[in-house]
Amino acid sequence: MIKQSIISVVLLIIAIALPLVTGQNPYITGILISVLMMATLASAWNIVGGYAGQFSFGHAAYFGSGAYTTMIMISVFNSNPLLGMVLGIVVACLIALVTGSIVFRLRGHYFALASIAVAEIVRLTVLNLEFTGGAQGILLTDVTFFSLDLNSKNPFYYGMLLTLALTLAITAWFHKSKTGYYLQAIREDQDAAASLGINIAFYKNKSLLISAALTSIVGSIYAVYIRFIDTHAVLDLSLSIEIILTAIIGGVGTLWGPLLGAVLLVPLAEMLRSNILGDALFRLGVVSESSAIGMFLKDGLAHAHVLVYGIITVLCILYLPKGILGFFRRGK
Amino acid sequence: MAPSTYRGNLTMLFFQSLISGLLTGGVYALAGIGMSLVFGVMNVSNFAHGDLMMLGMYMAYFAFTLLHIDPYLSLVLIMPVAFMFGYFLEKVFINRVIHHPHQNQILLTIGLGLIMSNSTLLAFTSDPRILTTSYSSSSFNIFNDISVSIPLLLSFLITCGITAILYLFLARSRTGMALRATSQNREAAQLMGINVSRMSAIAFGLGTALAATAGALIAPTYYIHPLAGHSFLLKAFTICVLGGLGSVVGATVGGLIIGVVESMSSTYISTDWKDVVVFALFLAVLLFRPQGLFGKKGGQ
Repeated sequence: MIKQSIISVVLLIIAIALPLVTGQNPYITGILISVLMMATLASAWNIVGGYAGQFSFGHAAYFGSGAYTTMIMISVFNSNPLLGMVLGIVVACLIALVTGSIVFRLRGHYFALASIAVAEIVRLTVLNLEFTGGAQGILLTDVTFFSLDLNSKNPFYYGMLLTLALTLAITAWFHKSKTGYYLQAIREDQDAAASLGINIAFYKNKSLLISAALTSIVGSIYAVYIRFIDTHAVLDLSLSIEIILTAIIGGVGTLWGPLLGAVLLVPLAEMLRSNILGDALFRLGVVSESSAIGMFLKDGLAHAHVLVYGIITVLCILYLPKGILGFFRRGK
Repeated sequence: MAPSTYRGNLTMLFFQSLISGLLTGGVYALAGIGMSLVFGVMNVSNFAHGDLMMLGMYMAYFAFTLLHIDPYLSLVLIMPVAFMFGYFLEKVFINRVIHHPHQNQILLTIGLGLIMSNSTLLAFTSDPRILTTSYSSSSFNIFNDISVSIPLLLSFLITCGITAILYLFLARSRTGMALRATSQNREAAQLMGINVSRMSAIAFGLGTALAATAGALIAPTYYIHPLAGHSFLLKAFTICVLGGLGSVVGATVGGLIIGVVESMSSTYISTDWKDVVVFALFLAVLLFRPQGLFGKKGGQ
């Protein structure tokens, strides 16, 4: 426990100090924000997916709730982003309650399937309605938040860091609270848990609500950070899947696993997207840039990060089903 | 417009959408049956099912453009190839997680699906392709004004044929009976001397062949795109849950219902909302009859 606390404090100090080192380079800060964002999303998903064992495939709906509510509040009502964030949490929790009340009576495959159906209904509704901007999305030209300089990336870095710290604190609380023990009991054996008098549906719903609220906060920060959202960016099924893969590859049901997953995967995706591998081959003269293979590397590899995620997932499930962190835990 | 003709037009409209719904529903049913078979025999939710359908679409496309084989004729080629591909996938990947928790199986099939769709994206780019045959847009009229699209009708008839053969196979042949026994009780089937691991591979091969066939059958009427699998995956799931996970008869009826619901909501609400109606129906089934229309086991 003491070791755990020391690790957390050291990591937090490093994370707080990091922009002082990289502050001059907005590109690096951008990647760090992406890492923090994916780490928070995967950690928030881990609360319901890892601890309660309920694999939600619709977390994009909660992310999108935060993003869309915040953007609509700012662009239509000119409100403070904070109000949008709070309303976003309310919307996300309502969606979570609807999903939970329909499927938490059921078990097995049903929750996964129903969470996709709810998320798709949310996505298509936003796409077809007028005030959500439809397929065009919402673009924000100007936004103010108290006296912070929102043209700098640092406020968003610290905002994401704060949300991540909150998410991890809640996860750590799960390790020694009644709720946490109940959830793990439900995950291991639902019938045994029920026979001991645990209200299964209540605790599953509770974990889903906490997870949805945290995911929605990240969505709000993302929307104000990027200042543009559409259904493809914030409500797509592929986002939900990316969140799950990050948590799985890092180690599901562990405190640090999802963070580790994000630290490994986000820079990897960025490297593929910015084609560092291709450039290295060109520079070494292995492949000519204008040859057919060169063209393929240039155009193809930029879109290959999802393919790489797929390969890593398959290998992970076959060889490290408990994720990287789970693997090392077992080795001890 | 006189009231009687107006009512006549409304009736026409109704029957028109009913018929096109049933025709499309037949092909959906084929995809649903494939998924249900895999679920029944292996108890695995196959999240790569949509991507297998997409591969079927591309196979039909290339058989037509490169080898000049009619998409309906190319099924003779596509079905065995897809069966072998599915058999291989089961032996190499799925088989190893068959006793794992559901989540791992789902993630493995998602991973395989991502590999299939994104390799296709890399190989054939994201440009949608269209398979145009000489009869792609031809149709004929029945009962005065109800038009029936020829490619959809052909697909429907082929679907009926394949479904009938599949029923006979499952009901009469030794392998079919062994498949059903494995589906009913895996342990008991194993004790009776059935090679359940081989049955799993056959079920997954059949599921893949059916998915690819469904893909090939709709290829002449849809855009062919590497990410087309997503929407079909969700439809196949809706069909399976509606019919009862694991029930082949249920998936057939479920497919027809989904086809009609989709076409009716396009006609009476709007094409933009048809998928919302389908997913809402899916949630309603989970809420009121989670075991589905023909499900044996309760969802609780």
